[in-house]
Amino acid sequence: MRAHLKILIASWTFLTGATLPGGIAVAQSGDPTSAAGHAAKVNFFESKIRPILVEHCMECHAADTEASGGLLLDSRDGWQAGGDSGSAITVGKSSDSLLMQAIRYDDPYLQMPPEGALPASVIRDFEKWIDDGATDPREATGTETQPPSSMSVEDAQQHWAYQPLPESSETTGSKGSRIDELLNRQLAESGLTAVPATNHDALVRRLTFDLTGLPPHGDDRDKNVSYDETVERLLDSPGFGEHFARKWMDVARYAESITLRGFILPEAWRYRDYLVTAFAEDRPFDQMIREQVAGDLLPHDSVDQHQTQSVATGFLTLGNTNLEKQDKDQLEMDYIDEQLEVIGRAFLAQTIGCARCHDHKFDPIPTSDYYALAGIMSSTVALKHSNVSKWVERPLPIPEDEAARFDAIASQLAATERKLTAAQKNSNTKLVSGKRSISVADLAGVVVDSRDAALVGQWVESTSVGRFVGSSYLHDRATGQGEKSATFEPPSLTPGDYIVRMAYTPGANRASNALVGVFSADGESKLRINQRKKPSQEDTWISLGTFRFEQDGQAFVLVSNEAANGHVIADAVQFLPVASLADGLPSEDAAENANEPSAEQIAEAKLQREIKSLQAEKAELEAELGKRPRYMTLIENEPPQDIAIHIRGDVHHLGEVVPRGVLTAIGETPAIAAQSSGRRELADWLSSADNPLTARVYANRVWSWLMGRGLVASVNNFGTTGSSPTHPELLDWLASELIRSGWSTKHLVRTIVQSEAYRRRCLSPEDQQRDIDPDNKLYWCGQTRRLSAEQIRDAMLAISGELDRTQGGSLIRPGTRSDYGYQHQSTRRSLYQPVFRNSLPEMFEAFDFADPSVSVGNRSQSTVATQALVLMNHPWVVERATAAADHFRSQSNLSDDETLIEALYQECFYRSPTPEEIATCRAFLHRHGDPKDDESMELLVHAMFASLDFRYLE
Amino acid sequence: MLPYYSGRRQMLQVTACGFGALAANSLLAGSQSPAAADLAPTLHHPPRAKRIIFLFMQGGVSQVDSFDYKPLLADRDGEKLTFDDSRQLAKTGQATQHRLMRSPWKFRRYGESGRWASELFPNMAEHIDEMCMLHGMHTEGVAHGPATLFLHCGATNFIRPSFGSWALYGLGSENQNLPGFVSIAPSVGNGGARNYGSAFLPPQVQGTALGNANGGPLSIDSLTRAGLGDRDQSEQFALLQKLNQCQLQRRGPHDVELEAALESHELAWRMQGVAPEVLDFSTETAHTQNMYGLNNPKTKRYGERCLLARRLCEAGVRFIQVNYGDNSANPAWDQHSNLPKHADHAQAVDQPIAALMQDLKQRGLLEDTIIWWGSEFGRTPYAQNNGTGRDHNPRGFTVWLAGGGFQPGRSHGATDEFGFQGVEGRVHMHDLHATLLHQLGLDHKRLTFEHAGRNFRLTDVHGRVVQDVLS
Repeated sequence: MRAHLKILIASWTFLTGATLPGGIAVAQSGDPTSAAGHAAKVNFFESKIRPILVEHCMECHAADTEASGGLLLDSRDGWQAGGDSGSAITVGKSSDSLLMQAIRYDDPYLQMPPEGALPASVIRDFEKWIDDGATDPREATGTETQPPSSMSVEDAQQHWAYQPLPESSETTGSKGSRIDELLNRQLAESGLTAVPATNHDALVRRLTFDLTGLPPHGDDRDKNVSYDETVERLLDSPGFGEHFARKWMDVARYAESITLRGFILPEAWRYRDYLVTAFAEDRPFDQMIREQVAGDLLPHDSVDQHQTQSVATGFLTLGNTNLEKQDKDQLEMDYIDEQLEVIGRAFLAQTIGCARCHDHKFDPIPTSDYYALAGIMSSTVALKHSNVSKWVERPLPIPEDEAARFDAIASQLAATERKLTAAQKNSNTKLVSGKRSISVADLAGVVVDSRDAALVGQWVESTSVGRFVGSSYLHDRATGQGEKSATFEPPSLTPGDYIVRMAYTPGANRASNALVGVFSADGESKLRINQRKKPSQEDTWISLGTFRFEQDGQAFVLVSNEAANGHVIADAVQFLPVASLADGLPSEDAAENANEPSAEQIAEAKLQREIKSLQAEKAELEAELGKRPRYMTLIENEPPQDIAIHIRGDVHHLGEVVPRGVLTAIGETPAIAAQSSGRRELADWLSSADNPLTARVYANRVWSWLMGRGLVASVNNFGTTGSSPTHPELLDWLASELIRSGWSTKHLVRTIVQSEAYRRRCLSPEDQQRDIDPDNKLYWCGQTRRLSAEQIRDAMLAISGELDRTQGGSLIRPGTRSDYGYQHQSTRRSLYQPVFRNSLPEMFEAFDFADPSVSVGNRSQSTVATQALVLMNHPWVVERATAAADHFRSQSNLSDDETLIEALYQECFYRSPTPEEIATCRAFLHRHGDPKDDESMELLVHAMFASLDFRYLE
Repeated sequence: MLPYYSGRRQMLQVTACGFGALAANSLLAGSQSPAAADLAPTLHHPPRAKRIIFLFMQGGVSQVDSFDYKPLLADRDGEKLTFDDSRQLAKTGQATQHRLMRSPWKFRRYGESGRWASELFPNMAEHIDEMCMLHGMHTEGVAHGPATLFLHCGATNFIRPSFGSWALYGLGSENQNLPGFVSIAPSVGNGGARNYGSAFLPPQVQGTALGNANGGPLSIDSLTRAGLGDRDQSEQFALLQKLNQCQLQRRGPHDVELEAALESHELAWRMQGVAPEVLDFSTETAHTQNMYGLNNPKTKRYGERCLLARRLCEAGVRFIQVNYGDNSANPAWDQHSNLPKHADHAQAVDQPIAALMQDLKQRGLLEDTIIWWGSEFGRTPYAQNNGTGRDHNPRGFTVWLAGGGFQPGRSHGATDEFGFQGVEGRVHMHDLHATLLHQLGLDHKRLTFEHAGRNFRLTDVHGRVVQDVLS
C-alpha cells in the first residue's frame, strides 16, 4: 500500500491538497501539463469505476432513490458530501476511505454492495481510483431530495394541540349543560336538531355498562331511582374503579407475560390493582401521572404511600420487548424506545418513536429531543442482562416490623448456608461407600456417564484415580487444547428445573480452568472449573447450578479443553430434578450397607444426615423469604448520563451527545440537575397544568370512553397527522374543567353523563339528518355502541349467577412457568384474568381485545364470522348458557312461561319482550313439549347471548 | 395504499355505507356480495402467483448439510479458522476461532440440472429441477426469537404484521367460506401468534391457526358445536335469526352495523358447514394418502399438514404456512449438540414435501402457487464450542422456492468456500419478502398502512426484488 503510494507520488502530482501518510502535502492539481494524465484518469473512471457504481450502487445511492445511509454515489458532490457515517472517500487515501472498508467486506457492520462482495480485481480498481485522486467528472443533477426536517417551534405553536389552553371561567349552572351549549351551537349552525333522551331502561343499561362495565343488576334495577342518583351510586360502586382501570390498561399496554418464551411477569398485577384503587378513590390524574413515571422518586409519609407510588412505576416496565436480542446495546435502546413510545402516546398523544431515526417528519420532535428523553430513561436500570435479559423486581416497601422479620430470615438463611458449606467440606463419602466407583444405577436423577458422551478429539479412558462414576472416566491427556470436547446429553429429560452436577476426579495435574458449558432453555452458561480441588459435594460432584429444561429443548453439558492448563477430566453429568432434590442425597442407611461400619463411617453417616437436614432447612428458609412481596420497577442509575444521538437509529453509529431533557417545543422546558436522572422533572413536566397536551389528551380519552369517539378521533395522536377536534372549544373547556376540579376523573365523568348529549336516543339511520351528518360527528343523536370482549364475558357470568366479585390479587395459578396454552378458568371479572400475550382467551381474541403489546387508544371494531362462531360454539359460552338456564330454573317464581321470558329479557337486555318475542320464545321452549325435559331452555338462553341486543347497546 | 381497506382502521368502524359488506367479506371475501366487486383489491402489476405455501422448517436447517454443497468442509474437517460468528459478534464485537466440521451426509447430483443435494432429503431432491435455490440468503437476529419474528414480520420486535397478513391485506381472499390466511400447527414459542398476527392491520387479515405444534387435531377453534345434534343446532340457529329480526325491527331497519353482525352469523353458519369438509381427508384416495406418508408414523404428522395445505390451496386460501417445529426455545432443527438428529427431522418432512410438490404439479396448481421452503436462519459450517453440533447462522443459508413464476432449476447466489457467509447473489430476508410480494402482483414499496403517525410496510425502508430468479 505504502509502496504503491510512493510510486504514484514520484511519478506525478495529482491530488487536491490532500495529505499523505508521512505528512507530505501534495500540490494542487489542474496543472495544464497533466491534461493527458487527467484524461487517462477520466478514462479509468469511465471504464472501471462508473459501470460498477451503476450496476451495484445506484439502486440505493442515487438522487432519485432513498439515498440509503444518506449517501449519494451518482455524482462527485454526492460522495464528497458523504453520508450519515461521514465522508465516503478520502481522496488519495483508499486505506482511510469508508467506501473501501465497505466493499472490502471486512467490517461486519458495513458491507457493500449488499448482494455480495465485488471481485478482488474490482476492489483493486477502486483502490487505485481513490489513491489516484478519485477523478469523477459527474456533476450533481440537482434533483437531490432535501432531507426531511421537523416542524419548527414557531410552526408547531400554530398547531392547535400545542397552543396553551385558553383562560376559561368557571361555568355557572349545571356542568352538563355547558357541554350541550357548546355542542348545540354547531348543531344549530348545521341545521340539525338534537333528538331527545332515550327511554329510561336503555339509558340505565347504557350508563351502567359505561361506568362499571357490567349490566344493571340487583340494586341497579330499582327503576324508581332518579338518573342523578343512579350516576352517583355507580360512581361509588367498586365496578367504576375496575372498569376505568381496564380502560387505562389498554393505554398502558398492560400484560402479565411477554411474548418471548411466554415469560410470566408475576408481579404485574400490582400495577393493575394500583389503577383499580386509584380510579376508585378518584386520585387526581396529574398525581397518577407523577406516580407512574417517577413514583419511586417521590417523597412519602407512610409505608402505604411508599408502596403505592413504587408499584405505579410498573407502568414503565410492562413493554413487550425481545429480551433474547443478543446485541444488548440494541436491546436497551429498544426497551427505551418502547418506554418513550408509551409515555408519548399515553400522556401526550405524541408519536415520539418517529424521531428515533430522523427528525419527526410531521411534528416538532427533532431527533435530539428523542435522545434527550432517551438519556433520562437510560439513566435507569430496567434490565439485567444475560442470554435472555430480565426485568427488574425489587422487594416491596413494607412496614418495619415485617421487614425486620424478613431480614431475620435472611440472616438465618445465611447462617444455614455457612453451616451447610462447612459440613459438605468435612464430609467424605468414600468412608460411607468405600468404593472407588459409583454405579450409575445407584444415582438419582438422570445421569450421563462418560461412556455415553459424544466426543470430539482424542480422549482417554482411565480408572487411575477414584472415585468415579461408572466404569471409568475420561481425560484429554492435557494435549490438543481447544480441539477436544465431550458432550453429555441425556436421551430425554422431563421438562422442569434441574440441578446440574458434574463429576470429576481431582488431582494436582488437572486443569484449574476446565471449560464447562450448560445449554438449557435459557441459553448457554459457561463456567471454569478448578479440577485440582476436591469436588465440593460428596467428594465427587460439583454443582453447575440450577437450570430449566424444556420439552424437546436443548439440554446438554459440554466439557472442553479450550485453553486448559492441565488434564481436563470428564466423568459424568447428573441432572437432578429440583422437585425431588432430597432423593439425590445419600440415604441414611448408606452406612448400614457397609459390612462393619467403623467409627469414622458412623460419624460420616451422621454428617450426611446433618447435611440433608441443613439442606431441607435452607429450602424452607428460602421459601419463607420468597414470600416477601416484590414488585416490578426500575432502578436509578448512578450517575445519570446523557447519551448520543444514534444516527438512523443505529446503536453502532453515534453522533452528538445531547443533554437530558424533554420535548423542546411543548410547554416550559425544565432544568435537569447534573445528579438527577431527569425522570422526576419529566413527570412534573408531563403532569403540569401548563403542558398544553396532557389535560386535553386525558379529557379527550374520558370523553371517548363515554361517548364512543373522541372529540379528537385519534385519541393517541394529537400531532399534525392526527385528527382535528370536532369541537375545539368543548375540548378546551373539558380540559380546563379537569384541571379546575383538581384532575378529578369522576368529576369529568359526572359532567359528561349529565349532558343531554350523552343521553340521546340512537335513531334509525334512515333519519333525514343522516344526510347532513352521516357519522354523527356533531352528536345530534346517540351512537349504537357495542360491548367489549370483557363486557360480554362479564355480562354472561353475571346473568348465569356465577360472577365472583372479589377484587384484586394475582389470578395466575401458582407454578405457571410460561403462558403457553394457559387455561383461563376463573369466574372473576375479566380485568382480573391474566393478560397473557401468547394466550388470551378466545373470546378476547375474537372480540377485538386491545393488543397488549402497544398503547391502544381506540380498540378496533371488527365484525367477523369468528365472533359468531365463538358465540355459538365455544364451550365456555355453552357452559354459561347452561349455568344460566339452571339459575333461572331454580327460581321458583319463574314457573310460567311469561314470567320466565320476562325475566330472561330483563336480565339479558334490561327490557321487556314484545308480544312477538314472547311468542317466538314460547314456541321454541315447547318445540318438543315440556321445556323441563330437554335442553330448550339452555338453547334459548344461548341464542339470547348470541343475539344482537345482547352486545349492541341502544 | 390500497382501496380495499381504504387504509385506515377507523374506516372499519361503522360508517354510513359499505361497512357490512366490507367487514363481513374481509374474512370470508367472496364475489357473491354485490359490494365485493367495488372492494376488489387493486394489484400493482399482473401477478405470477395467487397464493403461497410456506414450509417453515423451525429451528434452522443446516445449509451445508442439505443443499449448499461445500467439498472443502470435508477436505479441511477439523481445521481451526477465524469466523465472524454472529453470536460472538453481537456479544463481544469480535471474531473467534472455530473448528470446521464436515457434513455427516453424502452429496450427489440430482435431476437434469445436476444440482448437488445431500442424502438428507432424497425425495425432495428428486424435484430439484422444480426448485429455485437461493444460496446467498442472510437475515437479522442470531437467536430464534428475533430471527423468527424477522422471518415472519420483517422486524425483530413484536408489533409488526406478519407476511401472510400483508399478503391478504393486499390481495383480499379468494374464498368465501374459509379464512384467507392459515397457519397449520404453529408453535406458541418464539413469537407465537405474532408470527401470523395482523398487528395494526385490520383484524380480518389475521392468520387463523389450524391445530397446534403439539400435534393435536388439525381444526379451527369453535368451528363446530360439540355435543349438539344437527336438528337442535338448526332449530337454535333459526331461533337466533328470529330473535335478531325482532330486535332489528324494534330498533328500526338498516342499521349497517347490526346488519353486518347479522350477516356474520349467516356466514359463520355456512363456514361451519363447509370448512369441516376441507379438513376431512376421507375423500382422498389411499394412493394419495400414502404418497404423503400418512401410512407411516414417521411421516404421518407432517404429511397430514402438507395434504391439508393442498386442500386449502384448492379451496382458495391465499397464504398457507405449514409448520414443522415445536414449542420449545430450541425448536426442531436446532441441533446445537447433535447434528445427526437432523436426519430424524429430514425424514419427517422429506416425503410429504415431495408429495406436495408432485401433487400440486399434477393438478396444475404449481403454476400459480409459490412453494417457499426455509428456516429463520441457517447453521454454521463449524462446530459450536468445538462440540458435535452447529450454531445459528444468519449470515448465509439456503431457501428454495418453486412454482409461481420462479425459474425452475435455477441456482442463485453463493456462500463462501465453507458455506458460512453469502458472498454472491446475496438475498436479504427483506429482499425475499419483496420478491414474494412482487410475484403476487404487489409492490412492497406501495403496500403500506398508516399507523402511529406514519406509513408502515413489510420491508421497512429496505428490500429489493430479486429479478434474476424470476421467469
